[in-house]
Amino acid sequence: MSERLLAYTDKLSVKPGELVQVKVSSPHAGAYRARLVRLICGDDSENGPGFKVAAVAGATESQLPARFQPIPCGSYAAIKDRKGFALASFSLGAFIWPTRLDKAEAQCILGNWDATSSSGYALYLDGDGHLAFRVGAGAPTVLAETLLSRHWYRVAASFDAKSGRATLAAQRLLPYGHRPQRHVAKGKAKPSAAANRFLIAAWNDGDEAAAHFNGKIDSPTIFAKALRIEALLTPPGTRGAPAARQAVAAWDFSRDISGTSVIDRGPRRRNGQIVNLPTRAMTGWNWDGSELNWRHKPEHYGAIHFHDDDLYDCGWATDFSLRLPKTLRSGIYCIHLTQGALEEFAPLFVCPPKGKATAKLAFLVPTASYLAYANHQMETSWHFDELSSAKFTTLSLADQFMEEHVSLGLSTYDLHNDGSGVCHASRFRPILNMRPKTDLWQFNADTHITDWLEAKKIPYDIITDEELERGGLAALKPYTCVITGTHPEYYSERMLDGVQDYTNQGGRLMYLGANGFYWRIAWHPKLPGVIEHRRSEDGMRAWWTETGENYMAFTGEYSGLWRRNGRPPNMLCGAGFTAQGFDVSGWYDRMPGSRDPRAAFIFKGVAENEKIGDFGSIGGGAAGWELDRADVSLGTPPHALILATASEFPASYHWVKEEFNHAHSAVNGDTCPMVKADLVFFETPKGGAVFSVSSISWAGSLAHEKYQNNVSRITENVVRRFLDPKAL
Amino acid sequence: MLSIDQSRTDLCEEFKRTPFGRHSADLHRLLDLMRWGFARGKTIILCTVPHKEWHLAKFGPRRGTPMQIDRSGTFHRYEDAVWACFRARWKEMTGRDCPVE
Repeated sequence: MSERLLAYTDKLSVKPGELVQVKVSSPHAGAYRARLVRLICGDDSENGPGFKVAAVAGATESQLPARFQPIPCGSYAAIKDRKGFALASFSLGAFIWPTRLDKAEAQCILGNWDATSSSGYALYLDGDGHLAFRVGAGAPTVLAETLLSRHWYRVAASFDAKSGRATLAAQRLLPYGHRPQRHVAKGKAKPSAAANRFLIAAWNDGDEAAAHFNGKIDSPTIFAKALRIEALLTPPGTRGAPAARQAVAAWDFSRDISGTSVIDRGPRRRNGQIVNLPTRAMTGWNWDGSELNWRHKPEHYGAIHFHDDDLYDCGWATDFSLRLPKTLRSGIYCIHLTQGALEEFAPLFVCPPKGKATAKLAFLVPTASYLAYANHQMETSWHFDELSSAKFTTLSLADQFMEEHVSLGLSTYDLHNDGSGVCHASRFRPILNMRPKTDLWQFNADTHITDWLEAKKIPYDIITDEELERGGLAALKPYTCVITGTHPEYYSERMLDGVQDYTNQGGRLMYLGANGFYWRIAWHPKLPGVIEHRRSEDGMRAWWTETGENYMAFTGEYSGLWRRNGRPPNMLCGAGFTAQGFDVSGWYDRMPGSRDPRAAFIFKGVAENEKIGDFGSIGGGAAGWELDRADVSLGTPPHALILATASEFPASYHWVKEEFNHAHSAVNGDTCPMVKADLVFFETPKGGAVFSVSSISWAGSLAHEKYQNNVSRITENVVRRFLDPKAL
Repeated sequence: MLSIDQSRTDLCEEFKRTPFGRHSADLHRLLDLMRWGFARGKTIILCTVPHKEWHLAKFGPRRGTPMQIDRSGTFHRYEDAVWACFRARWKEMTGRDCPVE
């Protein structure tokens, strides 16, 4: 198995003078060395500008003791009260929609069982996917029949301490011919009225949670006596069902869907907290399609989907704290750790002190998009990954580590172990693809921009998506010009409003990428550093939402494409996602718009018939990987100039699927005229302007021939003009 | 073409010559066939020294299990690893060796 030195920090977006807590885990005892470095370029490939870091004045190198810290992944709900669940006789009930019956390990639905002491009780699935019920150290009662995956069941168990009788039952809600709908098993056990921690979707293993459930749980309930199974199988709220007021606890997951609590609607208010962010606002056992928005009918959204690989926070202890120098220049920094041959970089995005811009230019670092891709494992999540990338699967050492260690948490591009899509991504974990010396995608590709700014000696500040979410327009307003990263794909409403307000009020935006402003996300209303995304309805989707689950739990907003929310990217930046391919890149040819006097400053020093960007470190060209297209029908301003277009792409490039409403074969670079990239410029109100390159690989061409090339020249022409406050 | 034609050595030669970029329609169809479906269970490529060394490999049966790395061949150019992967996939799909070395 591969091994790595791992680290993360309590903050990602920081300011000079702040204290940062650093959490480290090593597979080896001994010591590691730690230092703070300024990252200029993370591209260590032979074709790029080279890996470049700079020492930080006043920052010392430390030697610190190494230790291993585990990652407790898997979601569940924990109830604070313990004594109320120390019961001799009791009954348990819930609706379940199991999703991983072949796990070969126990998956607890609810109870206070502790595997370490073999005490308490649990209703669970055994390793073979059979419903089971255990009380104390005795043999469990197990249903002979297996359940069906992704079907709703009413499950129940009761135990009578006096007789020692245990009863277990499952009733499938869908009736099928030739298959019994109800199964019942009976057994014997001795009481075990232990005051263990009561958990939903896991059980205790000492102080840890274990036996994580995969699937949905709805309306879990517990009563302090052995009820008749017939009553327990009757849906709550219907005739013959035991009343919630008689319950020890009756949790209603349709309450506080946007929060972190599970609410007991029984008389004793035995509320709990979710751990590791299971997915909420999930269709429940009684969802009937009459409402698609959970806010309009929450009683149909009483399910939580738990996963054994959910992870919000590794929860590691702090190994050391770092006080950033008060004079630290804004930029991308890394805490660089080394231990023998092991090396780790934990990035920090140092913004300027609050309210004190130190440059006229801001680089808006797309940290929300970094989170969306954090620790992605598309290579195993996608059945179409090689067809999409037109490559045989090729893993890095970091990919190998993530494949071999399941606990690092997933990205919104992945499928959980049970095949359901991942909706959440947090920063409280080591993120192995948000590092220098990794693939030229997102974070590392964006260091081509910082490298170029440093080479051109253009002063800049760093602003992150977290700052944009906090401050909206105010985060950008101090700057004459804002440049984006290469792939600012994920935007919340507040973030999008901030950038749109900025360009509407005279700001100048340089969109140095493609497929930006595409997906709608939400930040959690209470928990820091985590986004939610639902792959709703359409778009180039890694997975798709279940019917009725398109609205985000964090905010209740409809997720999916911004285009499907009435705000195509074209409205902001003049171009929107049109195609992608990942084997070779192309170049741009000048269009008539480039000869318009309004665009003269952009092409100063560029010959009339030069191919633009027929070189570069990403696919060999400036137009590649993902491409945007100008389209007035989608919101490109009618006065926008199409300056240049790249249109020579092979069949490995594919038109985006949200634009073809019927299947046909003319959808690739060989056959589809929509496979292209448009270089776009237009003026905005109050003297502002937008320049969009419409390609992810553009920044990979900036450093070609020691920064003396037409991609660099055009970019410099635009940034220097955009920094000139004179109205455009 | 929904199966591999052992006689099409021309497609092997074309891929060996041009592993990336524009391909003939028949080679494109062959590659789509080789790349269809999940990669788990198929031969893939693992970069064992960044930018310098590659090996053929396979995923374990599920996440959280060790990968199987084929140490019998070490490649110092990515293109060579890609060609070796092509030949391995050919054999996995046809049961016969790829006709081009």
